[in-house]
Amino acid sequence: MTISLTQARILVIDDFQGMRTMLRDFVRSMGVTQVDTAANGKEAMSQLRASRYDIVICDFNLGPGQNGQQILDEARMYDCIGVSTIWVMVTAEKTSDMVMGAAEVKPDDYLLKPINQSLLESRLEKLIVRKKSLGGIETAIKAKDYVTAIAKCDEQLQAQTPNPQEILRIKSELLLTMGDFEAAKLLFESVLAARSVPWAKTGLGKIAFHTGDYAGATKILQQVLLENRMFMEAGDWLVKALDAQGDGEQAQQVLQEAVKLSPNSPTRQKMLGDTAYKNGALDVAQAAFERNIKISEFSVHKSPSVFAGLAKVFSDKDDPGEALKVLARSKSAFKNDPLAAIQTAAVESVVYKKMGQTDKAEAAMANAEKLMGSLPGKPSPEVALEMAKSLLTLGKKDKACALMRDLVKNNHENADLSRQIESVFAHAKLGAEGLALIKESRQEVVNINNQGVVLAKQGNYQEGAKLLRTALHNLPHSEVVIANLCALLIGLMSKEGKSDALVQEVRELLNRGRELNPANKKYHLYASALARTVGGK
Amino acid sequence: MSTQTISFTDLIASSIHDMKNSLNVQVRELEQIAAHSRAKGDTSTVQDLGQVIYQANRMNANLIQLLSLYKLGKSIYPVDIAEHSVAEIIDEVLLQCQSIMELKGITITVDCAANCYWYIDRDLIEGVLINALNNAYSYTVDKIRVVARVADGFLELRVEDNGRGYPSNMLLNDAVATNKSINFLNGSTGLGFYFSSQVANMHTNGERQGALTIENGGAFGGGCFVVRLP
Repeated sequence: MTISLTQARILVIDDFQGMRTMLRDFVRSMGVTQVDTAANGKEAMSQLRASRYDIVICDFNLGPGQNGQQILDEARMYDCIGVSTIWVMVTAEKTSDMVMGAAEVKPDDYLLKPINQSLLESRLEKLIVRKKSLGGIETAIKAKDYVTAIAKCDEQLQAQTPNPQEILRIKSELLLTMGDFEAAKLLFESVLAARSVPWAKTGLGKIAFHTGDYAGATKILQQVLLENRMFMEAGDWLVKALDAQGDGEQAQQVLQEAVKLSPNSPTRQKMLGDTAYKNGALDVAQAAFERNIKISEFSVHKSPSVFAGLAKVFSDKDDPGEALKVLARSKSAFKNDPLAAIQTAAVESVVYKKMGQTDKAEAAMANAEKLMGSLPGKPSPEVALEMAKSLLTLGKKDKACALMRDLVKNNHENADLSRQIESVFAHAKLGAEGLALIKESRQEVVNINNQGVVLAKQGNYQEGAKLLRTALHNLPHSEVVIANLCALLIGLMSKEGKSDALVQEVRELLNRGRELNPANKKYHLYASALARTVGGK
Repeated sequence: MSTQTISFTDLIASSIHDMKNSLNVQVRELEQIAAHSRAKGDTSTVQDLGQVIYQANRMNANLIQLLSLYKLGKSIYPVDIAEHSVAEIIDEVLLQCQSIMELKGITITVDCAANCYWYIDRDLIEGVLINALNNAYSYTVDKIRVVARVADGFLELRVEDNGRGYPSNMLLNDAVATNKSINFLNGSTGLGFYFSSQVANMHTNGERQGALTIENGGAFGGGCFVVRLP
């Protein structure tokens, strides 16, 4: 935000008429002329869609309907607010859900009630200054140009900002995203030399996790929680590390502890539901899924797989009637969502199968397959896994194998997903077959890649690129194909000159790759190589 | 739900929460009346309301302290110790009690370097400072000084006034350092000190722990409220 407070366009969201008027009068007295108000999520969203606001002052608790965080999530998801928008959450009391919740989008600040005008004005002025100083970094992050974002962090650190911590923390996250673990480790250790700061220690835990040292990660993260049990992020990573070691029981314990502290985080409730279901703790899973459904009713992040999970819990508890009711609710909650419809139909078939109603089970499965056939792209791994489970339950082994083969090929370096696929087969008592399938499918991808690499080595970049682009079209999530295509295109540019189209293609590939697996160091190398190529001309 | 499943402290906590909400509405209404009176030029009503609002704010601060203590005790308070600008925190706290201080003719001076940053839980430390300033408001003649400085790896926050200082029995008993000597029934200051010392103790760095002390002296020779945080 490059403007001053008086020029800012402000939206005030509060369900309470008196509070709304008071906040509006406060900002007007500060000299702000463009102020709008909204009483609930619906009104707020229509205002946010219609105008671009510089500052949003939003009450967290808005009565029935969406809460402040859910409006923020939705506004960010539909791009109604930019990185430069200042979002201030007003709340009567501080809770861990708000401060350390699992929300991906966080407000810029919290204001505790009661609020007076001078306090609000002082906070807003400070936030404008802060946004200005972070502006360049945030814009680069939004554009996923991490190399520039890191360079901008360094600029600020060299200019000796009064509180380097915030910049250091942003920089460390960027380094982790880029997979530059050595630099990240140095950064964390230098912060920790002065005092035990939970975010830096958790950072070391993340590095251990990303480099496959799950036991090491577990130890570090447990220590963070021992020193500061409110630092939920450490708990989230601890769960991942325990999961990777196959210790579902302990992962469940950590999650149960976490939801006690932050009961209104839908992400954690879903994770607890999934973990408990895997462990066979049906009551815990049921409670977690039900809680998730309740708190995400008005959220853009509400998830059909939670309904599917709850239906399976009821089915396993020999209560198919209740399971079908949950699925009916899912249908009405996700009316125009084909992925949701596939999941619902897949679980429906399993429930009917268990009830002994084979015809209905077959019909539901046929419906799921039809829906999947008409998807424009590939189903998400979550949906594909759900389908495979149902197909195996119905004895359709070939179809399940074809689906899983495709999933492996698309994600052949994703160890976590491989574990999940293994467990699907193991559950159907086809463990050996599952392992063989995973191995074969992986090899196929490796072979295509090798061909591309051979062509590139012979100097035939154009042909190699063509081959890998086709491969990527069939395997859009394959990390190796993405990485090799990047290398090949950079090679092509250094030989035949750069072009904007190719630079853009590489940038998009790198982003795609990083999203799939931030731990892959190659992206870091290629990003630097690309920066050199771009800067070189 | 049967009544036996509700603990008395939980009941108190939820009641405090409810009371705090009512109080907020009340303060808001009072401020509106004060604004109307000010617009009409009715200064004597504005002065009277100032006192009422001060008392209501004090009550609100007390309720927030009780609620925070309840949550700290149950380990559900979201303690969030991060690096903050100490000067900014002092500024914010002063903004909250400025009008009241002005009405009583109290001058507040601040001695804090602009580049002073420290690891603290912002909301809790603001609560501690507000409590210290509310106390100083009652006991000072006309001056209050807020000092922040870093020495020997500790941040020292001092609130000094030019009143008569703490009575010697309070200093002797060391009522502040030993929480157990505080009796909620015999003094209006017990809660504030208890809260502040709990918050100070909660700030740790390695083996070192924060602490609250009271003394007489300082720049004005009056009461001094001192919090040291590692």
